[in-house]
Order: sequence, then structure tokens, then C-alpha cells
Amino acid sequence: MKQLSQILSYILPVFYLCAVYIYYNIFFGKKKELENKTFPILIALLISHAAEIAIRLSSLRAMPFSTAFDALSFLAFSILFIYLLIESGIKNKASGLFILSFAFLLQLISSFNHTWERETNELLSSPTFAIHASLTVMGYTALSLSAIYALMYIIHHQNMKKRRFGAIYHQMPPLDYLESMSIRSVAIGVILLGVGIFMGHVQASRVLGSFWFADPKVIISDIIWLSYFTSYALARAMKWRGRWMAYLSLSGFLILMTSGVIVFTLTETFHKFY
Amino acid sequence: MSELNLDHSVPIALIGISHKTAPIEIREKVALDAKEQESVLRSLSKAFEIDGCLVVSTCNRTEVYISAEEYETVIPEIQRWLDGYKKSGYFTNEQYAYVLTGLDAVRHLFSVISSLDAQVVGEPQITGQVKDAYNLAKELKTTDSLLNKIISFGLQAQKKIRRNTFLADGAVSISFAGVELARKIFNTFDDRHLLLIGAGETAELAAQHFLEKGAGSIAVVNRTLEKARELAGRFNGKAYGFDELSSAFNGVDIVISATSSSDHVLSAEFMSEISKARRYAPMFLIDLAIPRDIDPDVDKIDGIYLYNLDDLQAIVQINLDKRKQEMPKSFKILDRYVVEFEKWIATHSTSSTINRLRRYFDHIRRSEMNRLRKRLPKDNMDEIDYLTQSIMNKLMHQHIKTLKKTATDPERHQQNVELMRDLYELDQE
Repeated sequence: MKQLSQILSYILPVFYLCAVYIYYNIFFGKKKELENKTFPILIALLISHAAEIAIRLSSLRAMPFSTAFDALSFLAFSILFIYLLIESGIKNKASGLFILSFAFLLQLISSFNHTWERETNELLSSPTFAIHASLTVMGYTALSLSAIYALMYIIHHQNMKKRRFGAIYHQMPPLDYLESMSIRSVAIGVILLGVGIFMGHVQASRVLGSFWFADPKVIISDIIWLSYFTSYALARAMKWRGRWMAYLSLSGFLILMTSGVIVFTLTETFHKFY
Repeated sequence: MSELNLDHSVPIALIGISHKTAPIEIREKVALDAKEQESVLRSLSKAFEIDGCLVVSTCNRTEVYISAEEYETVIPEIQRWLDGYKKSGYFTNEQYAYVLTGLDAVRHLFSVISSLDAQVVGEPQITGQVKDAYNLAKELKTTDSLLNKIISFGLQAQKKIRRNTFLADGAVSISFAGVELARKIFNTFDDRHLLLIGAGETAELAAQHFLEKGAGSIAVVNRTLEKARELAGRFNGKAYGFDELSSAFNGVDIVISATSSSDHVLSAEFMSEISKARRYAPMFLIDLAIPRDIDPDVDKIDGIYLYNLDDLQAIVQINLDKRKQEMPKSFKILDRYVVEFEKWIATHSTSSTINRLRRYFDHIRRSEMNRLRKRLPKDNMDEIDYLTQSIMNKLMHQHIKTLKKTATDPERHQQNVELMRDLYELDQE
């Protein structure tokens, strides 16, 4: 079982890369016929990833997102799932290249850093852990999508302003669609991540007492979330629009990810506290 | 006329004059309006030994398609008849008219339907025009099963080309390029407000495209208020004079400017105030005037996207180039359908069925004759042979008559063809 999980884990980035290649061809208008074939491709990719998670779950006998790299794989899966829903709703497939490239990177990092040892932290056996983990991953998914749409907005805005009417211009969805997708995703992401972090705090205080409050990653996570929330709320109150909102969304996400990397380097797992 | 190089694989021929062979002065002389098309279809099917005919006449082409077993004799006659009908000598003039037969004619019709032979490649109007021409011919019962099948294959090829290539993508006219650009900013035009500055034809045409695509409302600003009212009235919009320009901008998302003013109508300072008031929400401006109506510095303002005629022309050129690049791929798809059609014709055409039927009857007749030769003296064999041939021809005649009689009713005809093929097991030959 463990061997199968390992094999599948290394194959998954290849599958993601194939999907990225297909979306690359669609984006640059190389093969129009591929446009009608993306849905089964995405479904196949989703099933492969779900199978990998299920096999890992059965092999480890625990939810496979206790380590940072496990979480990245789950984040890639979650992004893929949300993108599938988005693509089913709209005809435009341009965001596929950006979103799946990001998911591919997450999966690549995850696949080559997986541990196949079960983590024995008692926090992970708490019944609220699954809720905390799911909300956090969904929050990160929404914020990732928001950042990708914001990046697309900035690229499209620059192309429109500089009159670069090439392949990228042709494939990009309208600016107001990119803007609304980015803003909605931030709103959903901030709320989900906030509730997820709060649930984590509740769970940790129940299991570990109160000393974990002084933990640097708890402090970093709380500060980052709070500043994300405050700047978003302020920008909305001041009715910021267009590229400034896109810059805000993108920089907020980059700070969040950078802080995540800092937190990961401090400890191998999210769930050990100093 | 020189001797025709005829392709006998499919009993179909085409006589045509198009934008590729004749200038507009000639094309307008040979063009057939709806009434003339009807009259030509009726006359050709009555006056000539043909099984079916179809007339496609647009501003870029006049083409007559004929389905006939003996088309080599009919083509020159029809060419002369068309010259007589249009009182011109162009249909018999090799410089302008072309004649294609068999699979060449089929391929040509496929390329016409797929807009690969159009003046602006990929424009969808021609597909509709061929469909209209076909419907008229069907209504007048001048199509036969062969023409029906060719059109059906042609439409399939057109759909496949449209689905799998970028041949019909992108705007290829200036006013549509404006709409295409705006669609890159606004997801939908519902609830988007349009402001026209100037009440001339250019502004009106551009506005029409936006309204057709669902723009919510329209306001017209013009130096002469009366003209603004007249144009606004046509679109159920509001009219403003130039002194009310600020008010006219209320809630506006799309601006089309096309005045004959020699100075800038919209300054950067003015537009900066407008954009600030909108909290820099995206606003799309097209300047169709020469000299330009809108200060180019307006484009530097946050939230404003300003384009002029050169920008729109650049988009049109890019789209045209892209369509040209798609042509080899489109022809590849088209050729696959020609091959498919060729396969179909080989197994399902009337002539193929008749030939197979003749071979089947003749095979029986010959084997019976051979048996007879062994038993009877040779003296009367020639007469008996003649007699059996005559019986066979009489039997064949009834079958051929039945097949040809139902040629105008495609469904019944197909049923009869299939019935004969099943009955005599012709497909197992």
C-alpha cells in the first residue's frame, strides 16, 4: 500500500504537468479542439489525486495533511476541485493555465517532500482537527485563487494599456470578471481562514493548555491574518477598485505564503508548539 | 470554349463567377436576386436533362450547381442559357467563369459553405446564404438526393472547421473590433451605459453594435441638440447639448466619440475628474474621429481604457492574419469530409446502385445462358442471348424508373436505394 502511494505521489506532478501543457495549448490558441476536452481531463486528474489521498490515508491511517508538504498536496487538490467548478460555470478556460500551473508547483513540492511516517501528535486525534484543517485548506485555496485572478488582472490590464493584442490578450477573460472573482475569493478566503485559525486555537487550548500562545508561528499566523483582514476591509470601505485592489490581493497572498515558508522552516510540522 | 476537363466520379457540375475571377462590375451584372434565383431554378429543371440544381448568388459569387448523369452535354447549354437570361456573355467567358465537375465541384461547395472561399475568410454570412439557397431549391423541389447529401456533408465540414479552428474568431471590421475590445473589459453589456459624442453615421453604426450586444442604455451628446435628439430618439436614449457634457457622463461605462471637431472634445483634466468620481471603475472609450476627439493623455488616467482608429485597425489586422494562418488546417478538415463523401457516394449513389444491379442481373443471365448452351443446339443461341438481354433490360428499366422517380424525395429515394441493395444483396458483391 505504502509503495503504491509513493508511486502515485511521484506520478501526480506528471499528470498535473500534462494538464498544464493542454491548457498552455488552449491559452496560446495552438489547438482549438482541446477546448472541448478539458472537462474529462480535469475529472481524470481529480480522481487520480483523490485516489492518491485515499491510498495515503489508508496507508498512514491518519488524515494526510498533518505536515506542511501534505497540506500543499491537499491545497493543490482543493484548487483543482474549485477550478473544475469555475470552469463548468463559465466558458472561458484562460485561467486554467495560471491556476493549474500553481497547483502543479504545489504538488511538485509536496510529492518530493512527503513523509510516509504517521505523525503521533495528540492534537491530530482531536475530533475538531478535521474541521480546522478543512477550513484552513479551503481558506488557502480561496486566497490562492484570488491571487491568481489578481495576477491575471494585472497582466490583462498591462496588455490592454500597452496595446499588446496577442495570444494572451485574446484568451484573457474580461477585466471586471477577473476583478469580481479575485474580490469574492479574498472575502471567502479571509473568512474561512479566520474561522479555521480560530478553531485551531480552540483545539490547541483544549489539548495543550495556554503555553502555545507564545509560539512564534501562532503569533505570525494571527498577525498575518489580522493584517490581511484589516487591509481588505479598509480597501472595500474606501471602495478601491481595479488594479490597486489586484495589487493588494496579490501582495497579501505573497506575504501570507512567505510567512508560511518562515513558519515551516521553524518546525517540520504545524502541530508542534514551543 | 476549350474542351472541359471533366471529373466523372460524382455526377455534379458547377458553373460560377466569383470575386476570385471577376471584378465587382461583372459580378453585379450576373448576380441573381431572390426572384431571379427562383426563376432560374424552375427554368433549368424544366428545360434541361438534369436531376437537380442549386443557385448560390451573393455579392461575391453567382454559382449554379447541377446534378446530372450526362452533365458534359448540359454544361455548355446551361452556360449559354445563363448568358441569355442575364443578357451578358460572362458565363461563357473563360476569363470570368469557371466550370468545376465531380469531386472538384464538391470540394468547392464545401469551401464556400465553410467560408474558406469568401472574400473575408471565416465570415459566417456565406453559410447562411448557402442554407437559404438550398432551402429555396428544396422548396421548389429542384434538389435531388445527391445535392442534399453534398449540402449535408458540407454543413458538417463547416461545423467541424468552426469548432476546431480559429477561422471565424475575432472581429474583422473596425466597429466590431470596438465591441471586441470592450468585451475584454466588461463581462456583459447588460446595465452598461453608452455615451455617443457626435450624432454622425460612424457613431451610430458603432452604437448599434453595442446595443445589439445588449448595452443597457444610450445617451447622445452633440453640438446641435436637435440632431442629438433625433439619434437618441431612434435608440430610446437621452439627448444632451455640449454644455451638458458633465451630466451626460452620469453612470456611463462606454464612450464612443466621432465628431468633426478640430479640437479635443474630452480633455485629460475633465476625464480625470470623471474617473475620480467613478472611484476609478473601468471606463472604455473609443475615439473614431480624425482629428482625434479625445486627448491621448486620457489613457494615462487610472480606470480609463482609450483606443483610437489605429488601435482598432491593428486588432482587425491581427484577426485577419490569424484567420489566414488557420486556412491550411481548415482545408485539411475539409478534405477529410471530401474523402468521406467520396466513400459515401461509392456505396450509396443511384448510379452505383444501378451499376451493381445491372451486374447482378447480368451475372444470373450469363450463368443461365451457359447452362443452356450445353443442352441446346448452337443455331438459335444468338437470338436467345438477345432475348434474355432484352428481358433483363426491361426488368432493369422498372427498377431505374422507380429510383429516378423518387429522386426529388430524398427520404423515399434513400429507402428505395437501400431496399434494392438489401433485396439483391448488392453490398456483398
